[in-house]
Amino acid sequence: MLPSGVFAETYAEDKRLVRTGKQRLALGVFLLACLLLPALAGPRLVAIANVMLITAVVTVGLQITTGYSGQVNLGQAAFMGVGSYATAVAATRLGLPFWLAVPVGGVAAAAFGFVFGLSAIRIKGFYLALTTIAAQFVFHFSVLNLPKSWLGASNGITLEPMTLGGRRIGTDTGIYYVLLTACVVMVAGAFGIIRSRHGRAFVAVRDDDVAAGMMGINVVYTKALAFLVGAFFAGIGGGLWAYYLRFVSVEQFSLFFSIWYVGMIIVGGMGSIVGALVGVFVIRSVQEALTTLGPELAEWLPALGGAVVFAGMNVLLGGIIALFLIVEPKGLMHRWNILKASYRLWPFPY
Amino acid sequence: MSDFLTFGINGALTGLLYALIALGFVVIYRSSRVFNLAQGELVVLGGFLVWWMVMAAELPLWVGIPLAFAAAAGAGALIERLFFTRLVGESLFSMVMMTIALLILIRGVILMVWGPQVRPFPIIFPLQPIMVGEVLITRSLLFGGVVTVAVALGLSWFFNHTRPGLRMTAVAEDHQIALSLGISVKRSIAVAWILGAVLSTLGAMVFLSGRSLGFLASDIGFAALPVALLAGLESVAGLLLAGVIVGVAQGLAAGYLDPLIGGGVSTVFPSIVMLAILFLRPTGLFGWRVIERV
Repeated sequence: MLPSGVFAETYAEDKRLVRTGKQRLALGVFLLACLLLPALAGPRLVAIANVMLITAVVTVGLQITTGYSGQVNLGQAAFMGVGSYATAVAATRLGLPFWLAVPVGGVAAAAFGFVFGLSAIRIKGFYLALTTIAAQFVFHFSVLNLPKSWLGASNGITLEPMTLGGRRIGTDTGIYYVLLTACVVMVAGAFGIIRSRHGRAFVAVRDDDVAAGMMGINVVYTKALAFLVGAFFAGIGGGLWAYYLRFVSVEQFSLFFSIWYVGMIIVGGMGSIVGALVGVFVIRSVQEALTTLGPELAEWLPALGGAVVFAGMNVLLGGIIALFLIVEPKGLMHRWNILKASYRLWPFPY
Repeated sequence: MSDFLTFGINGALTGLLYALIALGFVVIYRSSRVFNLAQGELVVLGGFLVWWMVMAAELPLWVGIPLAFAAAAGAGALIERLFFTRLVGESLFSMVMMTIALLILIRGVILMVWGPQVRPFPIIFPLQPIMVGEVLITRSLLFGGVVTVAVALGLSWFFNHTRPGLRMTAVAEDHQIALSLGISVKRSIAVAWILGAVLSTLGAMVFLSGRSLGFLASDIGFAALPVALLAGLESVAGLLLAGVIVGVAQGLAAGYLDPLIGGGVSTVFPSIVMLAILFLRPTGLFGWRVIERV
């Protein structure tokens, strides 16, 4: 809800993302903080931020498929993996530059996602979730069993550092700015898609696909498109991931990660792009905290030894998802919106 | 020819093992309309309970196994109480995600409590294989197969011919209608989870007898998934046929395709079967519901 006195008189005004001066200020401060982060924070925080930025791109894609279009997708990590491998192959075998190789990854992932999106035309709900899990297995099996000269099988693929405009970008700080730019572009794109005709079609299909069909929305096309767009985001994220780690292997894209991504949008809030970003931030922070605390936890539970972090991650992920599903299925953004509304209405109840 | 028979018969018996594991899926689905993706984890949990009672506490088998069943029933009731009572009437997405959360949570808890080490599992069925003519049959699988057939037929009768069973079937059809007819959805779901956990423990005993037990044994859950899908999620007796079909196909694939294409075909085989079922006939062979199509 908007503060009193702010209302739209034209459609263009109604679609605007930034409605008040304070919002513009907040966005500006946020972007400035993002830009200054490497100068203010240590190298470890920059490395964490890099992973967060990549995860944000992937999760925003999942938010479009699952949060906005209502198509359960448990294969986002596989889509990301396809993008990652496509980028790696494009960069190492075809010698494409960074700015071309990453979109190649996006397109490859979009194609793979589209194939599985087509199954959303025939089946829905639980069966669709199973199909996307199968996508995960298909990806894993194909990479490991294709000839070694194609995708490197279990050895993975190693990449050269990215070069932009003739300059090698090898440091974490340099990569941070590249990733930040990519992330801002992708998130802006996501906002654009969501506010367009397609975005409204996604929401209509999510809420009731029969009613959406009655209104003249092509339901089949919309569902397949949702998978295509979501997988494209995953592919771009995967491409960036390949360049960031400079090493691609199957274990980086297991079902476990897909579940983490879904966990992130549940925590942040389904059907909100900002929610996806919040979810990424919260969950990645907790994960990092657990990894940092790992050695101390290991002293508490000596029986587990090095497995304590893995066990802790499992309990944490399962626990967080269960907790949010029971206590606040609409996620943190919903809480935030309630808070904001009550602040704006104060001292009136409604 | 004897090769063919060995692959075929052992495949069929493995298929019956899958059917036993898949019984856990179907029983929970058939009485609560929740598809429990954490089935593999329940099997591992059951396995660890048996191990705990028999190997760690050194109880004799005839005391340890009933105790393990009782503990599994308790665990099932606890899971229902903590996670699913509050979700009655929630969206399907919540249910699916909850079972996935459960999968990961149980795995984490098992790791926390029992650690990542691989442990020897008690020998419940004698190890020596049985020779029938030239065909080698694993004894645990044979006994397991007999148990599976008995349990599946018994449960099928329970769900189709007794009042409590029919009540639970009504819950599986529609929570709201069942509630309006005065059926307690919560109790049905509780019974479902208790039954599911006990059956998973039984499955663990057949599956792991004389082998080693680690948290990775949960892969059997995903291997059994195609059997549940092929039977149709609502059919208990149909699992037997579906299990035999998938098992024989997989056994023959392992025997004849693996040497040709290189290993691994038989391991991915269940996923391929699953995809084929999902695309061609999502209701499975004996499922009730017509899957909604767009």
